[in-house]
Amino acid sequence: MDNNFLVIENISKSFGDNKVLENINLNISKSEFFGLLGSSGSGKTTLLRILGGFEKPDTGRVILDGMDITNLEPFDRPLNYMFQSYALFPHLNVFNNLAFGIKENFTQKEIEINVRNIAELLSIEHLLNRRIKQLSGGEQQRVALGRCLIKKPKLLLLDEPLAALDKKLRSKTQLELTTLQKKLKITFVFVTHDQEEAMSLSDRMAIMKNGLILECSSPEEIYENPKSLYTANFIGIANIIEIYKKDENFYSDDLGINFKLNKELKNTKTNILLRPEKIKIQSINNLKTSSFNSFCGEILEKSYLGSFTRYEIKIKNMIISVLDQNFNSNSNYNFPKGEKVICSWESESIKVLED
Amino acid sequence: MKNKLFEKYFVFSPYFWLVLFFFIPLAIIFKISISVSEWGMPPYQDIFLFDNGFKINTTFENYVYIFSDYYYIGSFVNSLILALISTFFCLLIGFPLAFYIATSNIRLRNILLVLVVIPFWSSFLLRVYAWKIILQNNGILNVILLNLGITSEPLQLLYNQYAVIMGIVYTYLPLMILPLYGYLNKFDLNLIEASKDLGLNRIKTFFKVILPLSVPGIVAGSLLVFIPVVGEFIIPEMLGGSDRLYYGKILWEEFFVNRNWPGASALAFSGIIILVLPIVIFQILYSRWSQKNEI
Repeated sequence: MDNNFLVIENISKSFGDNKVLENINLNISKSEFFGLLGSSGSGKTTLLRILGGFEKPDTGRVILDGMDITNLEPFDRPLNYMFQSYALFPHLNVFNNLAFGIKENFTQKEIEINVRNIAELLSIEHLLNRRIKQLSGGEQQRVALGRCLIKKPKLLLLDEPLAALDKKLRSKTQLELTTLQKKLKITFVFVTHDQEEAMSLSDRMAIMKNGLILECSSPEEIYENPKSLYTANFIGIANIIEIYKKDENFYSDDLGINFKLNKELKNTKTNILLRPEKIKIQSINNLKTSSFNSFCGEILEKSYLGSFTRYEIKIKNMIISVLDQNFNSNSNYNFPKGEKVICSWESESIKVLED
Repeated sequence: MKNKLFEKYFVFSPYFWLVLFFFIPLAIIFKISISVSEWGMPPYQDIFLFDNGFKINTTFENYVYIFSDYYYIGSFVNSLILALISTFFCLLIGFPLAFYIATSNIRLRNILLVLVVIPFWSSFLLRVYAWKIILQNNGILNVILLNLGITSEPLQLLYNQYAVIMGIVYTYLPLMILPLYGYLNKFDLNLIEASKDLGLNRIKTFFKVILPLSVPGIVAGSLLVFIPVVGEFIIPEMLGGSDRLYYGKILWEEFFVNRNWPGASALAFSGIIILVLPIVIFQILYSRWSQKNEI
């Protein structure tokens, strides 16, 4: 796959004394659905606005499909930008909003055909004569998407595409958006602060913090093998435990137990990540604790989540989160609050955080 | 009960004001305009006579008189043209200013707004008089032009229609900027970016997005300038010359110099009708249009 479809090279940007982006480098492939994930103030929206041409970077270049677009005006760039607020034109109806970007270069008949096609693609044919104010949030989102897609852009930038929708509509739209993207094969780059949204939409994603890219990989890779403490905490639920070398094994003071790792460590002291769903929870009657990778703790809190039950288990100085899948429909299967249980995990489930 | 009454009084007090100081005087003017003129005090006859039984003593002579003399119609046309040109220039200068103020950051915006309003703190008469000093033959502007060698003798800047237009644009500009600002303040700047993103350059974005969405502000500001300028008396009187006669001046002369009260009243009443009717029709059409377009 052509990895150089969109190249972001050494991009830096400051507003006054405030450094918003520092030396950003990213390569995005053609037809990739790429997510920029970060909390507010991480610089993700500024990066997207630089791609859209609304901000000029202080240093660096943006190359799209072999063309340097760094200094091009937004109206000269072969890409489109979908705003978080949708920015639909209130003085025009849906038809004219969709046709806005193609009115210049097309005949009336071509405009008709193009608008009909895009409306059909997004199932909004029945809305063409409506005013923007008469549309629901979901409908507005489709019009905003259609207004961009009708221009057949090489790259579509989406600023928090689902943030304005309610929860139920969001998961439905998420699925539609990925299907649409795979169908049209247009490269999508989107910005979000919602890690679930980033995970479910992205082919690859970049985690941003304070104007830097911490990590850039597939959602699976970032979830399973995060490189930094920040990413581990930011994505999903994380049990972070500090361990140090003691004799043959590793020992945690907070838990008071031994860890056995299946690989050698450079440092004698490090943080490890243990995802809550990797921990097996068993009744104390079944078996005894082994000398490593397991402990006996007391259930402090328990919340039933339908397909899972989440337990907070106290051991020595720490509280460990455990997600237990509810295999049985028998409710007695769940452990009650206050019960002592045995938790254990495989050596492969322990992920060492480098820094 | 008492509160209800107070509320009613509060809401309707502007209407009392209008009736007392606008509709009653208007009725009096209309009455005078259809009276027969004569020498005396007041210089017109009563419209109801009771000496030999009841008799209505009215005439439309005054209307015939002012509409048959181009002197009067011409001055009204001059005033309309003056108002049109002044409104256009106010819009031309006011729109970019209002847009700039509306889109600048809050601190700069407040400073700029105060600067717009500051002229209102000094007397209107004084400000127009100041222009007289600037523009006169040995005034500051001519002195600068002479010293820079741009002209060899003083230019006649004062007492012509251009000085009048300048004075009016200067005086009425805040009345254009403030309603425009009030409207542009709510403008979603993302719309401009969206338009550019969809391939329209700055000029096309202005005509396709900014201008259509600013129509209510433009209408409000333009009416606020246009209507009073048609009857404007002081600025043409102080800065204008004999090259053009304006409605306000003719009205004043007819009333105070010629002492033709019925004629002056007919002129005033016609002026109001000619001005108000199209504006009312325009407002009705405009509100229908804006409802349809949801602006």
